[in-house]
Amino acid sequence: MLRKRIWVTLFLLVALLTWVLVPVSAKKVKLTVWGRDLPDDDPAHAYIKALVEGFKAKNPDIELEYVALGDPGLMDKTKVVMASNTGLPDIFQSWGGSVMGGYADAGRLLDLTKELKDIPGSAAARQAMTWKGKIYGVAPFFAIAGIFANEDLFKAHGLEIPKTVAELEKVCDTFLAKGIQPIAVGARDKWPVLALYMYLTNRYGGYEAFGNAQARKARFDSEPFVKAALKYQEWAKKGYFGEKPLSEAYGDAQQLMATGKAAMHITGSWMCAQYSDPGFTDQTIGFYAFPILEGGKGKATDIMGMTDIGFAATRAARKKKDAVVRFMKYAMDPEPCSAEPGRICSVPGVKSPSRLNAMASAVFATAETVQFWWDQDLPPMVTSPLNDTMQNFFLPDADVKKALTQYEQLVEDNIGPVK
Amino acid sequence: MGKAAAVKTPQLSMGKRKAEKKKRDWHSITFQALFLLPALAFLIIFMYYPIIETFRTSLYQTTGFGPARFIGFQNYARLFASEEFRTGFVNVLAWAFWSVVIQIPLAFYIAFTLVVYKTRITGFLRAVYYLASVMPSAITAMLGRFIFAPTFGVISSLANRLEWKWLASIDFLGNPNIAFWSLFAMATWAYTGFSIVYFMANIEQIPMEIRESAQLDGANLWQYARYIAIPMVAYPIRIIAIISTVGSLKLFDLPWLITGGGPVYATTTLAIILYKQGFVNWQYGRAAAVGVIIFLLSLIFTIAQFSFQRKSGELD
Amino acid sequence: MNHYAATEAYSRKLRSSRRWTLAIKIINIVILIILALAVVLPILLPWFFVFKTRLEFSYSPWSLPTQIRWTNFQEAWVAIKIGQGLLNTLWVCLGAIAGTVPAAAMAGYIFARYRSKVTEVLFYAVLVGYFIPVHMVLIPLYQFSSRVGLADTLPGLFLPMAAFGIPFWTIIYRSFFRGLPGELAEAARIDGAGHTGTFFRIMLPLANPATVLAVLLVFIGAWSDYLLSLILINNPNLFTMQLRIAQFLNQYGTDHMPRYAAASVIAAAPTLLLYIFGHRWIIRGTLAGALKG
Repeated sequence: MLRKRIWVTLFLLVALLTWVLVPVSAKKVKLTVWGRDLPDDDPAHAYIKALVEGFKAKNPDIELEYVALGDPGLMDKTKVVMASNTGLPDIFQSWGGSVMGGYADAGRLLDLTKELKDIPGSAAARQAMTWKGKIYGVAPFFAIAGIFANEDLFKAHGLEIPKTVAELEKVCDTFLAKGIQPIAVGARDKWPVLALYMYLTNRYGGYEAFGNAQARKARFDSEPFVKAALKYQEWAKKGYFGEKPLSEAYGDAQQLMATGKAAMHITGSWMCAQYSDPGFTDQTIGFYAFPILEGGKGKATDIMGMTDIGFAATRAARKKKDAVVRFMKYAMDPEPCSAEPGRICSVPGVKSPSRLNAMASAVFATAETVQFWWDQDLPPMVTSPLNDTMQNFFLPDADVKKALTQYEQLVEDNIGPVK
Repeated sequence: MGKAAAVKTPQLSMGKRKAEKKKRDWHSITFQALFLLPALAFLIIFMYYPIIETFRTSLYQTTGFGPARFIGFQNYARLFASEEFRTGFVNVLAWAFWSVVIQIPLAFYIAFTLVVYKTRITGFLRAVYYLASVMPSAITAMLGRFIFAPTFGVISSLANRLEWKWLASIDFLGNPNIAFWSLFAMATWAYTGFSIVYFMANIEQIPMEIRESAQLDGANLWQYARYIAIPMVAYPIRIIAIISTVGSLKLFDLPWLITGGGPVYATTTLAIILYKQGFVNWQYGRAAAVGVIIFLLSLIFTIAQFSFQRKSGELD
Repeated sequence: MNHYAATEAYSRKLRSSRRWTLAIKIINIVILIILALAVVLPILLPWFFVFKTRLEFSYSPWSLPTQIRWTNFQEAWVAIKIGQGLLNTLWVCLGAIAGTVPAAAMAGYIFARYRSKVTEVLFYAVLVGYFIPVHMVLIPLYQFSSRVGLADTLPGLFLPMAAFGIPFWTIIYRSFFRGLPGELAEAARIDGAGHTGTFFRIMLPLANPATVLAVLLVFIGAWSDYLLSLILINNPNLFTMQLRIAQFLNQYGTDHMPRYAAASVIAAAPTLLLYIFGHRWIIRGTLAGALKG
């Protein structure tokens, strides 16, 4: 009988728990914001922390609920609520581009063009949060890709920061001979491969190379793409990316840089905070523009960039537009932005917090054209296949041209054939 | 043993039995219905709608939101035409095969030895083997990366310290031919615990008299295992085989978190493709088609297992 | 002579066979110990990191810590908001157990003991729940939960969790009940016990090993769940432990490995402890089952 009672109790427990629904009664306007990082004391999270705490202090009439979801938690959860069209947050952290565009096309986002068009900020950052002429959010920080170089190592081996791809190869050969990994990538995570590939393609084919392929005026296995891929593979074969590049995750790449085991890291300027943090690395690391290719079409002032931190508003917030706009404006305010130790701020008047950040900002200032990171610009259907394709560059036996042709076929299926 | 007795009805006279049968059947049916109700209710409420929805979605081209276009079986055709899907398909079948061929005998060996040798050491060891399965898969994956990572991984560090060049040069996660086995080793570490505990519980159920009489017969361990233990736990072994197979078809966490399915597609699985199509590539219809394929394969394997068993006469 | 030689030969054979038996026993136990070490050692790896600074970790991840620092644990502890996370997780675990185990035990019993065409078909109807990859149901499940008002509540999390667990545990219970001697049930039936009585008084106690296993593993499974919790819970006050751990992750794993390792240790500790104490029941349960059988 005792046993029976236990089981009955278990049933009752389940029934009870089912009915414990939490009724929420809100007096203040409640603003739900989904972000990636915790607002804690980590230097890389300093901006988020300043934003959340500052906004709460300045807006006592708004109840801000900031939810940190991590990665890929933020993306997966956003996708599910967007698909279900229920339980949407008011604001979510977004990288803009085609993903945000997809949500906008489905009618899930809140058009804030009128409210946000006059907020001062860099043109590239505004462009990233704009889709089909409408502004859906703000991007207080904008990242560009370039070379992080360990200046101590360069000095120790009497090397100069390369200005041309040929010089870069010489530098790599020297480091290789000294037993130092020339370039850290993190190819295990696939997306880190892109930064260098975008630059190589640009340097061979110029700014139009990618634009033409995207607009379906050229193929993804056309000359600049193939040449860049072959160069990439050649470097991988020489060992420029270490002996086991495909096992190396992005975190491993950072660790190699932080300990002086690798000399260069070609990636986004979001790494400025960590690479200038003495708690993270004891090396002196600088940020430089990617070199030019002699005889190639690309220019040193063609810069690859993407949203570093951005926010977009959803339709769930349409009745509290005022609160949302206040949040967006505060996100672009110099006050929280000044707390950031590394990222490039799109807001004018924010002083560079570190030497490394000043170097990255200086490179950004030289930009004549900003090419959005391909995986932000291409539609989602063809971005992860591109990342998969790029891993082939690290396989010595892979036929990279064939891999690119296969990718081109996929693009044809999804976007359409070359006209 | 009990299996034969289970279907035996008590010896009653024919007339009495018939009379009772009607009455008892009614009781029995109510009882059965009541006892099945909670399980079926849970499934009907939470699972059937998603399952049906998946079948329907697999015939559409859709991002998961916005417009959906009916395209018949094109999602399936596209999948079978893609190299990624074919690789993933072969991978999960290989994974299922090797988990049955390697993990089950290993689990049985451990469980059997633990039960046969009752010493203080084995008593302590019993608790140990399940420990790995207690870990959430995110932590298991993190451990896997610590072990196999280049430069900073345990094996690499150790090999460099000992100057074992051959070991230091193995690219555990980046070599397409080796990555599968590195993952398989981690999966064996993480997933064998349940089989061991389950086998142990079943081998313990073998009545003492049988074990003792086997020892009196002078049967050595191998023979005891071969002729008594294995036949007696044949059904649990089947169950574990089904669980491993279906588990392999749904495999996601470890390959995704450790290699991301790479290099290129070397360690991809059907569930990884499903996730990528549905959540990264926004090809929700195609993701649903992968879901349907996983579902159907699971169903086929399970029915095959159970009907094979019926043929070999174990069931009745 | 002859007789003596034969006895001598026999006893020699016996001795050698005993020696042989002992040798095999030792070999087997040594193998078991090696395998056990292979299981345990990886679990200890995070302990190499948890006391280090990021720089120490980067330079020498595998050296012994030079100094015991608890800052990583402190920071992780604060970030996880352990009190609240623990309570939420505990509710979810208990709910999942209450939802999964009784339903699976009863269904497994029917499928094992009342075999007919109908129950066979229904068995597959339960089983299909096991064939569905979890990523496939996320969107429809979330839509359903929102429609019935279950989204963003703890029951809205553990009830679907139970639905996911029931097929698996039904299979396990079914096989357990099949393995039990049926004579006992029949005897009880003749003694006048009804269907319900037979189940609760005779069969369920016999299936104790399965129940202990189920309770423990459903608990551990609910504790470790990340994906369902991520999708079905929006309110950060309802966040479970695993969701809080995942907050440390970004696209390159983590900024701060030592702190993440500390958080992982904190999050895994309760289940490890529960298991270490709980396994005694499993052993006792299985032994009890054996003795009665």
